[in-house]
Amino acid sequence: MATDVMIEAESLSKRFGNVRALDGISFQVKKGEVVGFLGPNGAGKSTTMRILTCFLAPTGGTARVNGIDVFEDPLAVRGAIGYLPQRAPLYTDMGVLEYLKFVAEIRGLDAPVFRKNLGKVIDVCGLAQVLNANIGTLSHGYRQRVGLGQALLHDPQILILDEPTADLDPNEKAEVIRHIQQIGEDRTVLLSTHNLSEVEQACARAIIVSKGKVVADGQLEEIRSRTGSVRYVVGVDEKASEPSFKELEASLGGLKGVKRVSALPQEDSAQLVELAGDQDSDLRADIFRLAVDKGWTLLELHRESQSLDAVFRDLTQGDEALDRGRKTEASAPSKKQSSAEPEKSSDSSNEEQS
Amino acid sequence: MSTALVIAKREFKSYFDSPLAYVVICLSFLGLGLMFFNYRGGFWQMNRATMQPLFENLPAGLGLLVIPVVTMRLMAEEKSSGTLEMLITLPVKDSDVILGKYIGAMGLILTVVVASLAYPLTMFGYPWNLGPIDMGPVWSGYLGVVLFSFAAVAVGLLVSSLTESQAVSFFITFIVLAGFWFSGSVADKAPGLVGDVLHYVSFQSRMGGFMRGLIDTRDIVFFLSVTVLALMVSFRALERRRWA
Repeated sequence: MATDVMIEAESLSKRFGNVRALDGISFQVKKGEVVGFLGPNGAGKSTTMRILTCFLAPTGGTARVNGIDVFEDPLAVRGAIGYLPQRAPLYTDMGVLEYLKFVAEIRGLDAPVFRKNLGKVIDVCGLAQVLNANIGTLSHGYRQRVGLGQALLHDPQILILDEPTADLDPNEKAEVIRHIQQIGEDRTVLLSTHNLSEVEQACARAIIVSKGKVVADGQLEEIRSRTGSVRYVVGVDEKASEPSFKELEASLGGLKGVKRVSALPQEDSAQLVELAGDQDSDLRADIFRLAVDKGWTLLELHRESQSLDAVFRDLTQGDEALDRGRKTEASAPSKKQSSAEPEKSSDSSNEEQS
Repeated sequence: MSTALVIAKREFKSYFDSPLAYVVICLSFLGLGLMFFNYRGGFWQMNRATMQPLFENLPAGLGLLVIPVVTMRLMAEEKSSGTLEMLITLPVKDSDVILGKYIGAMGLILTVVVASLAYPLTMFGYPWNLGPIDMGPVWSGYLGVVLFSFAAVAVGLLVSSLTESQAVSFFITFIVLAGFWFSGSVADKAPGLVGDVLHYVSFQSRMGGFMRGLIDTRDIVFFLSVTVLALMVSFRALERRRWA
């Protein structure tokens, strides 16, 4: 085993009664990587993280953090990592500094080490203003920062962050992501979220889980090209030629290489349509010629590698179809957007699983 | 400092960060004063230099009100607010968490017990001297109260670690401790073996000896066994989360 593997999960499985929360998850995170751990709610992200932090024991499989088995020496594993659980549950009756001192005492940090690290933590997490405030009075964003602070206090090489940006406003989100980028420069970070733009900002690599299985694992570029299609956005002037979506769908769908056509939310005067095309072809010329033939006024036409969003939806689709007794927030909106191709996506997620 | 003590210190401090500790201490003394001087004629009526009423009222008040209130939050609050995950994923042993919580709560109860020393000290020492008192039964009575508190707090912690609701924790602890307390009085009416068992587990009958100045090893072992057993089951209850 290479020594630079910091986090390693090997066919982890976990059952809660009849619910199979994890179904053979395997992955590795190497030293210095910042990895996004993605998946709809209930896909098993938090469960995986709780196993890695020795809060839960897996039903099957093994996990090693920093080369230490979570079964063999939970205390050493916990000592080596900084962990921020979902929603940053802190003691609301304590002050920020008091809390950080408490964590340092439990972690057995010496006073000089604590002072040195505290300075850094206050800097990185921007805690200077709230140091004497009571945690109960802090906004959720600040609590999240305090949570991040306690995870960094002992200067761990491995950080496990469970949805550090959930429930934050956009400014706070950007702040926290900036902190994570800064932290990730010289540490190993496993970061769970279902906000994809954050992953694109902060991580180079992503692991996507769905229904307790890893459905994709690789560099972001790799994952994007995973579904093998390119996305085109076509905007046509509504007033000038008034083609209905039906017409557009029929004509564009008739082009060679177009896999599917779907409507995007309308702009003021433009009818926007999204096409999925083959990875290795460029349909823009064809689309332009079609527009000229039909007499449409083309307002917009661009081609992009499929967004992570779309890949995510494709790969994790069907999560809500499976009755696991849980509502999945992340997959709920995707239901209506891509209900046109349920078969295709479930096919693709099956392929990815293998 | 050992991890359990760090947790205990935080727990003890957090009682005083909320109004809880102050309310508990004030009400205990108000109640204790009323009972001591007025209940069934009270201290003056007895017309003897004795602290006996203190050792009838103090453990009952602790067990039926103070200890359920103090222990209800110990684990239940941590579980319902999610802070347990934060605490457990620090490098602490599960046993340290249980022990730390226990010592923290015990600290508050002992504060109340020690403060009640004001009764014998002021009444029979300085500034008043109400008569020649035999301090033997006073000290043995205190030993009994402390042992009783050990067991009762452990039971409260155990109940708290089985539920996420503080209210449920309070009521169950109250019912269990009331059961252990009054089972002695019921025992007299119960036939044969049942009566013996009820008498055997009664905290109140166990306290009787200490009150009269009688230190019986069996009573000490009984209270300590209940304590250790309850702590071990709490530890198991906490550990159970990993496999649930």
